[in-house]
Amino acid sequence: MIHDAQMDYYGNRLATCSSDRTVKIFNIRDGAQTLVAHLHGHDGPVWQVAWAHAMYGSVLASCAYDRKVIIWQEGKHEWEKIHEYKGHDSSVNSVSWGPSEFGLLLVCGSSDGGISVLQRAADGRWEAQKINNAHTIGCNAVSWGPAVSIGSLFGQSPQYIKQFVSGGCDNLVKVWREEDGQWKEEVKLESHSDWVRDVAWAPFIGLPICTIASCSQDGRVFIWRSTGSSWTPKLLHKFNDVVWHVSWSITGNILAVSGGDNRVTLWKESVDGQWACVSDVNKGDDSGLRSSI
Amino acid sequence: MKLKEIERTAHQAWSPAAHHPIYLAAGTSAQQLDATFSTNAALEIFELDLSDPGFDMKLQGSIKTANRYHKLLWSSHGLGSGGPGTLIGGGDGGLIVLYDAARILAGDVEAELGQSVRHTGPVRALDINPFQNNLLASGANDSEIYIWDLNNFATPMTPGAQSQPLEDVGCVAWNCQVQHILASATPSGKAVVWDLRKNEPIIKVSDHTNRMRCSGIAWHPDVATQMVLASEDDRMPVIQMWDLRFATSPLRVFENHSRGILTIAWSRADPELLLSCAKDNRILCWNPNTGEVLYELPTSTQWCFDIQWCPRNPALISAASFDGLLSIYSVMGGSLSAQSQRQVDMISSSFGNFDPFGTGQPLPPLQLTQPHVPAATVLPLKKPPRWIRRPVGASFAVSYCLHGTQTFKMCGSLPGGLVQSHYVYVSQVVTEPHLLSRSAELQAAGHTGHLREFCHAKVQASIDPLEKDIWSFLQVNLEPDPRSKFLKLIGYNPDELAQKRPWLHVVVTISAIELSISSYSFADVDGLIGQALLVGDFEAAVELCLGDGRYADAIILAVAGGADLLERTQERYFDKSSGIGGTFCIIKVSELQDEQALSLSFLVDALGSRLEMEDGGRLCAQACLCYICAGNVDKLASCWDGTHQCSDSLALQVGMYPAVGIFGTNLTCRLVICLKIRLSFNNVATGNCTHLRNGDTREQPYWIGLHLLHSCQTSKNNIFSHRILAYFFSISFSFSSSTPPPMMFILLQPAQVQPPEKIEKRPIPEEHASLRIAFDGLVQRCLIAASDPQTKRKLDDANKRLEFLYDKLREHSVSALSLVSRDFKTRNVNVGIYFKNIISCLRAKMPSHLELL
Repeated sequence: MIHDAQMDYYGNRLATCSSDRTVKIFNIRDGAQTLVAHLHGHDGPVWQVAWAHAMYGSVLASCAYDRKVIIWQEGKHEWEKIHEYKGHDSSVNSVSWGPSEFGLLLVCGSSDGGISVLQRAADGRWEAQKINNAHTIGCNAVSWGPAVSIGSLFGQSPQYIKQFVSGGCDNLVKVWREEDGQWKEEVKLESHSDWVRDVAWAPFIGLPICTIASCSQDGRVFIWRSTGSSWTPKLLHKFNDVVWHVSWSITGNILAVSGGDNRVTLWKESVDGQWACVSDVNKGDDSGLRSSI
Repeated sequence: MKLKEIERTAHQAWSPAAHHPIYLAAGTSAQQLDATFSTNAALEIFELDLSDPGFDMKLQGSIKTANRYHKLLWSSHGLGSGGPGTLIGGGDGGLIVLYDAARILAGDVEAELGQSVRHTGPVRALDINPFQNNLLASGANDSEIYIWDLNNFATPMTPGAQSQPLEDVGCVAWNCQVQHILASATPSGKAVVWDLRKNEPIIKVSDHTNRMRCSGIAWHPDVATQMVLASEDDRMPVIQMWDLRFATSPLRVFENHSRGILTIAWSRADPELLLSCAKDNRILCWNPNTGEVLYELPTSTQWCFDIQWCPRNPALISAASFDGLLSIYSVMGGSLSAQSQRQVDMISSSFGNFDPFGTGQPLPPLQLTQPHVPAATVLPLKKPPRWIRRPVGASFAVSYCLHGTQTFKMCGSLPGGLVQSHYVYVSQVVTEPHLLSRSAELQAAGHTGHLREFCHAKVQASIDPLEKDIWSFLQVNLEPDPRSKFLKLIGYNPDELAQKRPWLHVVVTISAIELSISSYSFADVDGLIGQALLVGDFEAAVELCLGDGRYADAIILAVAGGADLLERTQERYFDKSSGIGGTFCIIKVSELQDEQALSLSFLVDALGSRLEMEDGGRLCAQACLCYICAGNVDKLASCWDGTHQCSDSLALQVGMYPAVGIFGTNLTCRLVICLKIRLSFNNVATGNCTHLRNGDTREQPYWIGLHLLHSCQTSKNNIFSHRILAYFFSISFSFSSSTPPPMMFILLQPAQVQPPEKIEKRPIPEEHASLRIAFDGLVQRCLIAASDPQTKRKLDDANKRLEFLYDKLREHSVSALSLVSRDFKTRNVNVGIYFKNIISCLRAKMPSHLELL
């Protein structure tokens, strides 16, 4: 079973990860695909992969049930493991790279309830900070927020902040923020009545508003909005099945929602703030699909 | 990993899967006494709050009951009406009792819905039908099995004749796939499967060893014909898996426990997980399909007599042990050390960290001697459970395209019978298909160099006259001799004009004289100016403008007429002028003079601006045509945006995209234009700008702009990036009614590679210092006096100009003398004239202040 597939910054390469404990990298230029790398290193199903920003070269992070996070880099001839993080006691379910302003910065969420933030230091070593018990019985998803605080938009110089959102088995969505080198839980968002399966912080496109999408085992997808102080939820839709994944388009105006019934729906917000389904893709249905692997 | 703990010797029941939040009911268990020998009994409901890090669970409701329980069930019966369902307890003396969970939670003592003592002996076997939540199966002594309808609790039915010899019924279980199939098991080791439609036992299962003593029975959640039996006998502590298709011997036998198994529980969320607890104090989790032990729970040193999966939260199990503890565990592993630290913190914080003795020093953190935790880390299940295996997930890819498409990909598995095939699909989401096809068409035309033909085809195809005009003008732009063609298009014949010219000149001169003498308002001054321009007689046009009092226009036109005409016009202007508006024009014009040769296009452009301003925007369409002639895409876009805010987006594409193809000479330029058009387009497409102003909707162009900016900076093309920056400014200003304009600027800061350099300014040479003091003082005083914002703005501007002047003085590139006299050239003329005019303007407004000078 393929658990995740992510395209790189340029849309030229596709990384997939699977229950077969490996990560595969394909070249997918012009619709044709060729396998360029097959990465072995995990001892359990690999849940997620994430590409780092292109300015750091071809760097890929993967996380797996074997409690490990591996960071891979494309060398001159082949892909190699540049770091292996073993700080979690249970399955690592999600990885997300931070904004490129902060260098190579990775957050990982695990079923042990903890969240780790890995940062590559100037000397190339990796430093890890761990938030223990961020989500009781497990964190399912993490997603970085923008590097600039919206509160500082009106000041003279922008304030850089490190912030991310996480969702877990305690039905909560939590926003974390770094203050004085320590990670603090900034806000706890309660609306879901079952496991939060995925969270996604919308890309920052210049408006003084932050948007987070969260989806849950209970079939509900919420859109959380904040203009600085408090977050207000808005129910996007209640699906009949588990919602596994949410993803924002690069411009933050379309949300792709993937459900357990193998359906992917695309949602767009109208002028009056209502979300409407603009497309419904059944995975078994080939129409409208350009290429498949 | 242990999560919660309750000190009760009790049977437990989780709230049904559909219920939120998760509750756990605990009913005092029968046949067990603690050291107090208390015979009180209670039914309590606890809430599972995972956000609370502590081990305690919150008691939500409790009632005292007369009986203790051998078995407790929580049915979703009654859940539909909003309540949390029905609790069913089996007790001594054939008792089955029903409680309304809602009433227990509400604190109502009268929570009992009904009871029956029809059975004989203790009721240990109870199960609710998974398909019909009102059907309850129960079993007790003497081979009694009853089927109860919770809606009509008085009279039960039997699944068939009592099996002989009479035995206790230890457990019953409904099939998970076929709703009328029930299984029962007796301590003697026999299991019977009943078909309720036939009302008789259909198969009996026994392994002939006669050593099985069934303590648990469970059906496979997915496979209708499979079930497991657990044996309590210490000599045969096994779990047997039976398949009814071959019911003569067990399919598999799981051996790992060293003493008899007390109970089993099969996970509904993942059929590959089966829990068992035994008298060897261990709780094991099996994969019943392979017989492998996946997990061993770190438990106490006491037997567990009841174990259950949480139906709602698949990772949780509850276990009741004889040492009087009800514990909740997670099978996902985790760190115990973090937890024990948490307990220390909790104890520490409960003492408070304040200063009880008034020493001025807060108490140090409490030091507790921690019990040594041998294995701090609990490993998770060996095999990832089904509920964390993500089957599908579509993510947007980072790539984007300016033409309104977004690449998007999804991945997942496609179930295909027994062999599952797994696919990754790459799909494209096209958000604006019309735009895409049009732009493709245009690009094709651009590539092949057939733009003129393209325009021509468009002219033929257009129905709307305005659209036709636009295409015609665009087409003319591509012709070899655009100027004459333009004239033709407007309806003038160049030859005719040439003939008319002398005559026109006379008319113009006469009218100018008339104007200046009698201030007689010539109705058609505009027309005359236009005609004069068409024939290229700038002097006449200037004359007309001056006569009509349009100084700004006069100066602009004079620029085109050459330096001589400009100078004369300026002279005349200053003689007459008392306003300040024209001054800006002069300055602007002087700047332009330096930078670019003025041409027809500039004039047409200026004309377009005039048209746009006039008549409250009614002439915008004409203005657009002017801009097309002038090749000024910036203005075209903004003008179009202004006029067509409410019209449909296609009209805009009609106007805009051709312009891109035609005016965009190189790639960078095209990108900029595309960006601009995209911005305008979005405003149109979304109806109006209000939502943008309110910050309600995210608009992709900003992002694209940022991205472009970023890419430009990496390619060191700073001019380009500054143009974009400038454009963002103009955008944010155009929405400035409520959005603070600096926003965009600040956003762009992080992307900016080169921050503006801070230049240490040298002091002004001494001989000019007095000049600066005088000027600054003047501006200061004016600032104090100026009340209206307009003047203040102008003063700000004056300050900037002065700063420029000071820079010049620093460089010694201008002498103080030339500053005071009016005979200076080109650029510096700005400062002198400008400042002179400010002063004169202020003098007119506030004579009293300036007399101080």
